[in-house]
Amino acid sequence: MATYTGLDRPKSKFYYQFWGFAFVLGLCGVMALLYYSTKQVEYTWRWNRVPQYFIYDDKVNIRAEMEGTIISIEEAGEDVLVTVRGDDGEESHTLPQSSLLLSQGDYVYAGDSIGFYTQTKPGILIEGLLLTLEVSALAIIFGILLGLFTGLARISDNPALRWGAIVYIELIRGSPLLVQIFLWYFVVGTVINSMLSQYGIGQISPLWFGVMALAIFTGAYTAEIVRAGIQSVHRGQMEAARSLGMTYPQAMRRVILPQALRRILPPLAGQFISLVKDSSLLGVISIRELTKASREVVSSSLQPFEIWIVCAILYLFLTFTLSMFVQYLERKAI
Amino acid sequence: MHKPPIIDVQSIDKFFYTPERLQALNRVSCTVDHGEVVVIIGPSGSGKSTFLRCLNRLEYADSGHIIIDGVDILDPKCDINAIRAEVGMVFQSFNLFPHKTVLDNLTMAQMTVRGRSKKEAEAKGMALLEKVGIAEKFAAKPDQLSGGQQQRVAIARSLAMDPKIMLFDEPTSALDPEMVGEVLDVMKNLAREGMTMVVVTHEMGFAREVADRVLFMDKGEILEQGAPEHFFTAPTLERTKEFLGQIL
Ligand SMILES: Nc1ncnc2c1ncn2[C@@H]1O[C@H](COP(=O)(O)OP(=O)(O)O)[C@@H](O)[C@H]1O
Ligand SMILES: [Mg+2]
Repeated sequence: MATYTGLDRPKSKFYYQFWGFAFVLGLCGVMALLYYSTKQVEYTWRWNRVPQYFIYDDKVNIRAEMEGTIISIEEAGEDVLVTVRGDDGEESHTLPQSSLLLSQGDYVYAGDSIGFYTQTKPGILIEGLLLTLEVSALAIIFGILLGLFTGLARISDNPALRWGAIVYIELIRGSPLLVQIFLWYFVVGTVINSMLSQYGIGQISPLWFGVMALAIFTGAYTAEIVRAGIQSVHRGQMEAARSLGMTYPQAMRRVILPQALRRILPPLAGQFISLVKDSSLLGVISIRELTKASREVVSSSLQPFEIWIVCAILYLFLTFTLSMFVQYLERKAI
Repeated sequence: MHKPPIIDVQSIDKFFYTPERLQALNRVSCTVDHGEVVVIIGPSGSGKSTFLRCLNRLEYADSGHIIIDGVDILDPKCDINAIRAEVGMVFQSFNLFPHKTVLDNLTMAQMTVRGRSKKEAEAKGMALLEKVGIAEKFAAKPDQLSGGQQQRVAIARSLAMDPKIMLFDEPTSALDPEMVGEVLDVMKNLAREGMTMVVVTHEMGFAREVADRVLFMDKGEILEQGAPEHFFTAPTLERTKEFLGQIL
């Protein structure tokens, strides 16, 4: 018979077929139930309205900038070149032929529409997604640096470093992220920005306070992951490296950290996936990331079911990509 | 002309607090001359490893002096990394760097500590792998090697630093019996070439054949020492007889 793994007797072929079928049936059942319940509340699904929040065509008017007469309209392929002559000189505009509203000899005033062109623009959900991506990526980078430093400080012999790390970790882990975001923005942010304005320097945008809150939050958890990773490397590795005459930093960098990294990666991936999801809280300090963008779309479109489902799928897309990337790193680090 | 001993241990104590106070070494003194091979035997928990680890300050002795090649390593101002580069150590559990290839295991410290170029370090590394008989495995990762091969790589890794002293802490205790010989052969060659060696081992055959002197440790003290013939034929103390009776 075929090889089998497990401590119990081999399962029959029908065992897998039966339970596989049961799984699919269960999945269909849940979907049907969802569909049935939305029917009960008489919700009208309008999926066709969703794409515009991803990408849309924007109509941009082309206006005359001065008063004058249209002296020529030259064709150039699909486009036309319209030249206006006024008292102060000439100006010309290129626009699609099909959108041309005027003809040669017409008199235009400044601000009159000559024609328009359409521009494809990312919709509000895509902008939100990109902002979520940006905030998360920045917070991950700063979080790794902070976590690595704090993790090393946590196991240092120097009491100032060690206690500093412990206090930081315990403070951050002991309060809700939402409260920390408020603290960074409304307390630290207000102080910093009012000081900056006293010196006449520009303000720091909420985005940076959001990134700071997330990075410092993640840094504390990353530090514990780093510490556990380093401590999971056998003591003999450090002893072997030091007995060859390597300094502590040399041994850490070349022997301990590379080995710790492989064990750190899986929990680190979990931490960063949490971070991407936690970035949804940044909407409260008017950062228009994916969740806030979705809320805005919902209140204008009145299609909450579709939008929230799409929003969840977009987060899933981000987190799934991240976890695939980390798995790739893990394979490479072997 | 008589050179001063290369290792001069003067009455060291070592305590562990686990948390109850435990004296692992009790006023241990001993000297080792250039080119001498000293074998340390004794029951488990008698402080053999602790003593050895004090010699390159993997454990910091609590009192006394340890003079290695003229430098007191218990002096906080001494450059311990420079001393450690001169004192190779081979561990019971090999402790090769598992994320590096065999050759990289040998070149890493040469480059970071000795400041040798990669080319120089690799040439030296290959020559040493040749010497311990596993040159063909230079590109393998340590976990692809047998225990005996790993331990020979570990010895080569220490030798790559051109040490003046080699410390061995039960280098064959973690090996399957059929691999013990290949590691002992490497060590015997090393002894023949005049390397100063301090070896903790239960291999009495090795002690008899190679050792210039045997130390018997018990309960943190060196109870008896002498030439191997003395030890294996006419030990003085009852305690030594008893121990030898158990292991021979
Ligand atoms: N790092 C340590 N912490 C606490 N106790 C230790 C430590 N290392 C060794 N000891 C204790 O010191 C004594 C001597 O140990 P060791 O030198 O390893 O003996 P041996 O190598 O002769 O078997 C033992 O009782 C052991 O439990
Ligand atoms: Mg031991």
